[in-house]
Amino acid sequence: MPFTAHDLRYNLSDSFPKLYTYLHSRARLSLGTFAYDADEVEIVIEHVIEQLTKLGLLGGGDHTPETALDRLNNAQFHAFLNRSVTNKAIDRLRKRRLPTSSLSAFEDAGIEEENDPLNTISDSIWGSPPFPTPETAALQAASQKDLRMLIKKCIEGLHSAPRQLLAVIQELEEIGIQDLAQDLRDEFAMQLAQVELSHLSQHKDHAHKKLRQCLQHSSTNLAVLVALRLTEYRQNFPGTDEISFDIKYLVDERFSEEDVRMGLHHLARIGLLDWHGEEVVHITSDQRKHLAHFYEEEE
Amino acid sequence: MNNYIDRLFDLRDEYLPLAQWLQLILADAPHDLAAGLTTVPDVDDQFMDADHITFYRQIPDFAQALLMNPTREDILRFGPLVFHLIACPTCHAAYLEIYDAMSATIGIKDEQIATGQLPQPATNTLTRAQVYTCQLLIHQAADVLRAARHEHKDQDAWARSLLQQAIYFSSKIPQSTQRQRALQDLVDVATLFDKEDKSESAAQSYIPVLSGGYAPVQKTTRRLTDTPGRPEGQFVIRLRTKLSKLEGTITQNNDILELHLEDLDQELRGRFLLISIPFGPLLEPVRWIGGNPHAIKSVVPVGEDGSLITPLGSTDLQLSIQEEYNLLEAMFIILDVRPAD
Repeated sequence: MPFTAHDLRYNLSDSFPKLYTYLHSRARLSLGTFAYDADEVEIVIEHVIEQLTKLGLLGGGDHTPETALDRLNNAQFHAFLNRSVTNKAIDRLRKRRLPTSSLSAFEDAGIEEENDPLNTISDSIWGSPPFPTPETAALQAASQKDLRMLIKKCIEGLHSAPRQLLAVIQELEEIGIQDLAQDLRDEFAMQLAQVELSHLSQHKDHAHKKLRQCLQHSSTNLAVLVALRLTEYRQNFPGTDEISFDIKYLVDERFSEEDVRMGLHHLARIGLLDWHGEEVVHITSDQRKHLAHFYEEEE
Repeated sequence: MNNYIDRLFDLRDEYLPLAQWLQLILADAPHDLAAGLTTVPDVDDQFMDADHITFYRQIPDFAQALLMNPTREDILRFGPLVFHLIACPTCHAAYLEIYDAMSATIGIKDEQIATGQLPQPATNTLTRAQVYTCQLLIHQAADVLRAARHEHKDQDAWARSLLQQAIYFSSKIPQSTQRQRALQDLVDVATLFDKEDKSESAAQSYIPVLSGGYAPVQKTTRRLTDTPGRPEGQFVIRLRTKLSKLEGTITQNNDILELHLEDLDQELRGRFLLISIPFGPLLEPVRWIGGNPHAIKSVVPVGEDGSLITPLGSTDLQLSIQEEYNLLEAMFIILDVRPAD
């Protein structure tokens, strides 16, 4: 009986020997002339086990949220494991300076050739393959309208520290991002009017730290997502201008109640909503217009 | 691939300054997360950032969204992860691996996987993987506790679940030296639990003598066989203090687990003790005296000769069965005693 992702999540102790046997056989197949090098085989196996553990699958039970791995069918899950083993084996062979012409040389013909993933991947809007290096990740992030919006919102968040905001605007101007810099100057003209900039590098460092945290923190993007959904799912109160939303209607399998609450909290904090943790969110038509403007905004 | 490169060149002209600025900001942070992926990380140096654990776990969903043509909501949902990938080489490397492995799953219909016919690997290699997995689970528990502390969340239940699995997992490892390796970092993790779970400073702290392991008391072990109430052939967990080399044992009398300590300090003699077993709550089959394994009061005071025999609790687990012995031995990986008054 083959093991499943569910077995590894909920019954690790019993399913581990099956996982190990599978990984062991695939590792030996993928390692070519090193198939009988026990250390190499174990390095490959340990790598996959470590990855499954870090992903929260191995022994995760109900404590870690389900991921795409849990939603794969069993054949897909084994294909995932097989490819993970193969990739690590190739990595090991490269480190041992063995010539490796292509991935396909190490794949199991019976399973892989019929389902060549490269023939079936749809070309995503990110390109294919997306983000091959951190540099291209940055380039692609900069080119995405919605991610540029997140960048702008994080910069706007500096307005409570006008010196830091001005330091960043000057920095953007110096590197040639004039449009964004001018938008920010126009938007925060009042706050920036009286600011004299001294100790530029110190303000810039503080601003960078805040931006680093903001860009990698979920609340900004969750706020945009909630704003999007608030304008999609609406239910008018009869005879009033107010619109109400039950938080549950904003939740789905990819967007938890915690996410929704974090997004709502962010919107309330920046004054777009009057919400204090209630189960139902009430918004006026004016607030709805501002919410729409919030997620449609572009530099 | 050519289309992709062409597209990158198109993007480069317009967005390169912003991209470079993004990298400047995001790559500015010190990286203590770039340790190799194939080694068990040190308890103190890996996954310190609570967000890092969260981002890592989003990678399969992100990869799948990319492979299925992401919606605007997907782009927004994974926005912070994209920025994190620019900043974090560890997650970026994992992303590339997982993206590729997820791509291998596209279009595969469910069917029977014939893993039952695979050749069985040697037992010793399975043991090595079991040891490694135990260590990973323990380190994962440490990461969870550190992240919880950072985020001011209570993740004790999750960490306990991981440790419990590590202990159950280790009980299937037959060699005591390998079990010892598997559980070597368990004690460090105990210090990461919330303060209310920690006992006050102990007068003595005992650890099991794992190398002695699973064996009945032999005639040659004078001190053990000389002690009344421990007949020859009885299975015992041997304990020893780290520094002063005091000895103790845990024996089983029917279903009662009994603690035997000897040569306790003068200052403890004539006094009742509180016994703390930090990992006691991890094994549900043990019913502890008083109900709290962090504060089990001895039923008698320490004798004038420095010895103490006191029950700890009852259990259906049997020291005479190897896996159950291993479980109990792992649970007693720390045993602290201090005066009750």
